[in-house]
Amino acid sequence: MHFQKRSAKAPRSLPPQGFAAEVSLLGGPMLFSPDAVLRRHNVNISGSGERTILFAHGFGCDQTMWEPVARNFEREFRVVLFDYLGHGQSDATAYSAERYASLEAYAEDVIEIGRALDLRGAVFVGHSVSAMIGALASIRAPEMFSELIMVGPSPRYIDDEGYRGGFSREQVDELLDFLAANHLGWSAAMAPAIMGNPDRPELGSRLENSFCRTDPAIARDFARATFLSDNRGDLAAVPARTLVLQCSEDIIAPVAVGEYVHAALPRSEYRLLDATGHCPNLSAPEEVTAAIREFV
Amino acid sequence: MSDPAEDLEDLYETAPCGYVSISPDGRIVKANRTIADWLGRPADALLGMRVHDLLGFGGRIAFETHLAPLLRMQGHVHEIALELLTAAGEKVPAIANAAEKRSADGRHLFTRLTLFRAVDRRIYEQTLLEARAKAEAETKAHQEAALLREQFIAVLGHDLRNPLAALAAGVRLLGRKEKLSDRGLAILGEMNGSIGRASALVDDLLDLARGSLGGGFVVDRDADAPLTPALEQVVAEVRSITPERAIEASIRIDEPVYCDRGRIGQLASNLLANAITHGSPDRPISFVATDGDLFTLSVANGGAPIPKDVMKRLFQPFFRGSVRRSRNGLGLGLYIASEIAKAHGGRLDVSSTEEETRFTFTMPRSKPVAPPSE
Repeated sequence: MHFQKRSAKAPRSLPPQGFAAEVSLLGGPMLFSPDAVLRRHNVNISGSGERTILFAHGFGCDQTMWEPVARNFEREFRVVLFDYLGHGQSDATAYSAERYASLEAYAEDVIEIGRALDLRGAVFVGHSVSAMIGALASIRAPEMFSELIMVGPSPRYIDDEGYRGGFSREQVDELLDFLAANHLGWSAAMAPAIMGNPDRPELGSRLENSFCRTDPAIARDFARATFLSDNRGDLAAVPARTLVLQCSEDIIAPVAVGEYVHAALPRSEYRLLDATGHCPNLSAPEEVTAAIREFV
Repeated sequence: MSDPAEDLEDLYETAPCGYVSISPDGRIVKANRTIADWLGRPADALLGMRVHDLLGFGGRIAFETHLAPLLRMQGHVHEIALELLTAAGEKVPAIANAAEKRSADGRHLFTRLTLFRAVDRRIYEQTLLEARAKAEAETKAHQEAALLREQFIAVLGHDLRNPLAALAAGVRLLGRKEKLSDRGLAILGEMNGSIGRASALVDDLLDLARGSLGGGFVVDRDADAPLTPALEQVVAEVRSITPERAIEASIRIDEPVYCDRGRIGQLASNLLANAITHGSPDRPISFVATDGDLFTLSVANGGAPIPKDVMKRLFQPFFRGSVRRSRNGLGLGLYIASEIAKAHGGRLDVSSTEEETRFTFTMPRSKPVAPPSE
């Protein structure tokens, strides 16, 4: 079409003034200063110690879920908590659905945070999907983490030939549908309208549930990236010493899956917790703390 | 208890909402008859079941990854949308509040869940969400179309400048170097006027495109030269184009004025052109520039007042009021004038009565301490 052909030439023939904002709309990936990286991921640092221990939250929550455990390490470690983009108080505007379609991008963010903090030989503690994000980060940046702690890990949620992840493909589709239609509750589904009103912050503070606030669209993407992932092939390449912490009754990461992860890792220890459910960091913080302390 | 007494046991069992109590490991330890009826199971049969068994798969995962952690952290969750699974496998939309019961030493004893059926509400919510998704998609499509249109205008306007400049140069050369008959000279004069008007239209289009595409008008302000000559020139130009109209001009300002003189001249020119087009031909046009705390430029004309509904839209682009089609202009003059006013941190106001219609531009006199970003 004539019209489109002409507009395609626009950047060359446009008058120079006043169009600068238009031209720089979609820049490529940019390099950020360490401060910008830490702000974007709402990185919180506490404690004092030679070594750093970094806690990574899983799907459906944010860094506050680690607080009952993390505070126990503040005497011996520099303790780092952060939120993935679109979770908690991170900068959701930095998120792009294309980039975060797979767990690799989340691992890159972990490495970016690690570089911003100049981490070497640190401890990575990942809950749920963050266990695999930590594995990927460890493979890509072997010097960054010498110890990896996986809490409720699963390298693949969907059953496969000779492998039981615990989920069928239909169930994962049902979950994604549920999130698309419903997300995690009414208030959360309405949250983007509320969060998208930076000039009316009082709306946000009226939300009933103040923790684990997630942008629903991002939560959906994260669920897809999480529950459709298959990282079984990566486990053998994880260089860090690893502790697998397995809960007793976990519908998301069953015992057999934890045992599989332990068997596939080159250097790992396995510990079955008394704690039940998927979030022992909240239901049994003492047990989780003791297990981590013994390992590091 | 006095009669009629509320029976608490009966209140629990048959309350118009469902009650379920769950142990820390997720098993149902108590449930009322209401919820049992909704689920199509005897209340006894619910005991010992896992809460997961009452939820659809999505709800189960949401419960484990989101609700359970929230409950542990803040002790309660409110207004959570869930789907309950009945014994027959049907899904019942519900809204839940939940709270942890803790012992004096903070130990988690059990979790109380209060459930309301929310069939109609869920339909309403879905409709709202769908409506919002639709509105977002439509807005996006509109914005994209508008952007494309504006880019088109910008490119068109810009590309028209070159042939117009060539025409103007040709006309100038003809007038200066060629021997022409009186008739030829007259035609050349007309042509020159047409080229001037075409150039003005193109400039207006480019201003529009810059204003909406580039995030606002760009003005280049300084106080390096006086503004009075620029305004006098505008008045002289308009007088020479329309010698039949009387313009009473009064320019009394303390120089220099911190402004973009070219743009203020354009604003003055647009206001005068507007007064000539719309004002009564037998009444003089008043052009007054003064200053005190504020720099003020006002242009007034006689004639019929502007109707109320028209007033609201005067400063919108492409608004032409009831002007005859044959008149020049795209309806951008007042829009551009108001954009220039805004870019100077000022404003353009209009008042219209039986006596006169007056446009008044006001802006701060001197350079602001911290100039607003432009």
